[in-house]
Amino acid sequence: MSHAKKEKPANPGSLTVPFNLKVWMGGLMTAGLITFLFTLYKNPERAWHAYLIGFFYVMTLSLGGFFFTALNNMTKSGWVVNVRRISESFTAFLPLGFVFGIGFLFGAPTIYDWLNPEIIATDSLLQHKAGYLNQTFFWIRMIVFFVLWIAFAKKIVGNSLKQDETGDENLTHKNVPLSVMGILMFVVTYSFFSVDTVMALEAHWFSTIFGVYAFSGMFQSLMALMILILLPLINNGRLKGYVDMNHIHDLAKYMFGFTVFWAYIAFSQYMLIWYANLPEETFFFMPRMQGGWAIVSVALILFKFIVPFFALLPRWAKRTQAHLVAVSVLILVMQFVDLHWLVYPHYNEHEVTMGVPEILIFLGFFAVFMWTVTRFLSKNELVPVKDPRIGESLNHHVTY
Amino acid sequence: MSNSKKIIAGIWDSEAGLIEAAKKAKAQGFDKLEAISPYPLHGIDEILEIPRSFIPYITFVMGLLGCAVGTWFTWYVAAYDWPLNIGGKPMWSLAAFIPVIFELTILFAALSSVGAMIVLNGLPKNNPPIIHPDLTSHLFALFVPEDDKNFNAEKIESLFKELGAQEVKHSEF
Repeated sequence: MSHAKKEKPANPGSLTVPFNLKVWMGGLMTAGLITFLFTLYKNPERAWHAYLIGFFYVMTLSLGGFFFTALNNMTKSGWVVNVRRISESFTAFLPLGFVFGIGFLFGAPTIYDWLNPEIIATDSLLQHKAGYLNQTFFWIRMIVFFVLWIAFAKKIVGNSLKQDETGDENLTHKNVPLSVMGILMFVVTYSFFSVDTVMALEAHWFSTIFGVYAFSGMFQSLMALMILILLPLINNGRLKGYVDMNHIHDLAKYMFGFTVFWAYIAFSQYMLIWYANLPEETFFFMPRMQGGWAIVSVALILFKFIVPFFALLPRWAKRTQAHLVAVSVLILVMQFVDLHWLVYPHYNEHEVTMGVPEILIFLGFFAVFMWTVTRFLSKNELVPVKDPRIGESLNHHVTY
Repeated sequence: MSNSKKIIAGIWDSEAGLIEAAKKAKAQGFDKLEAISPYPLHGIDEILEIPRSFIPYITFVMGLLGCAVGTWFTWYVAAYDWPLNIGGKPMWSLAAFIPVIFELTILFAALSSVGAMIVLNGLPKNNPPIIHPDLTSHLFALFVPEDDKNFNAEKIESLFKELGAQEVKHSEF
């Protein structure tokens, strides 16, 4: 690009978190905590199921931020540099996620059959699976996962932050092999994490594609949240000259692509189980195709795939702010519904349980996540202005 | 080449030169100003006000058609014309046929996009007009055809020279 090369605009500095947002986050965190404690006292099983949804949702976004950062470091993508700090900020939740993960380990025996000695004693299949699904190994896995995630995120994001001060090009090069290892680590750990926490609810059931299913929803909702964070920053002029609708357009393309990918994976999982018709697999879908859960299943197909698909198809849709906000919010809501659909039939397979505890505990988790993200962004610069590839991102131009 | 038009072309030897010239030439009010480059140029679409291609709409409509044909075809073959019971499933089981319907959607959309692209570009063509043989390797051209509303051979020639063209040619396209 030799025409109209932009001069580097003034450094946008770091985020000033609006007071209203702080009040909202604080309020939702408190409400979530109180609801959780109250539900824990009234009905611990329900409380821990709701906890799992919120925990898995924000862990997914957080690891998604890690994955997206590592992916773009690895592929040496230039266009993404100006929005990379947003995805890096998502990893700021990981240390707190560790704390919530430890908390979850204590709630796990309430919801997992394979941690309940009375049920194991009468269930030969669970006895058979005990080599993998047992308390000690579960604890070890969770701790190893979190240690790996935090170590890699600290290193990769740390290098990027160090570059803000020193401007050392070598930090970018150092991040490439780290990101390659990080992605390999992510693939294995995230698959096992989703299998251990969500799929293991139905301990008899197994689906070899489950990790990919969790990943597809991750990428889709990650893009939706990044767009929702970037749009207000563009509008209030903080990212002037750095991020514009060209960057958003590409993020929206990703969101569109992974909307299709989610449907593809979800259908692959369903069709193979439906076709083979083996009782040890079909029992997962049976309750989800009856009564209220059938409506949720249809809603997932409609609002997690068909509506976003057509809504994101035209070019103008990916460049119109109000439209993108609506679709992104829909996708984030449907990601919650998707997790609810995966988790809650285990709590009550006859009717859809969705009440104040589920919503408030989830919003509490989301508020904690947003608190760590905004805190990270208010301590660090919004754009890695000293990245050697920033020229490409400053002049990013999307024709189609 | 019976239907080709007379054109006046200016040749530039740098991308930046061409883009600067295109901006200034467009400001003179030509409505059919065109550019030729060995590779895609960022921003040239906006400068020359080239409308978007309508091929995506062909892709979309043909995709929907492929989806409809696939749905009808699987029903006709498996449930109507020659009902065949497989694994005790209902004759027309949507889940089993979605891969077929999906593939037909992609096939119709992809082949019709490529076909539309070839037809709209007037391909295949074995006698393309050659303005300058190096336009496919390292030179860039702007040209104005004779049916432009502001066509005036002398004025265009001097304008292109003024904008730094290394050569101005009368040609056909």
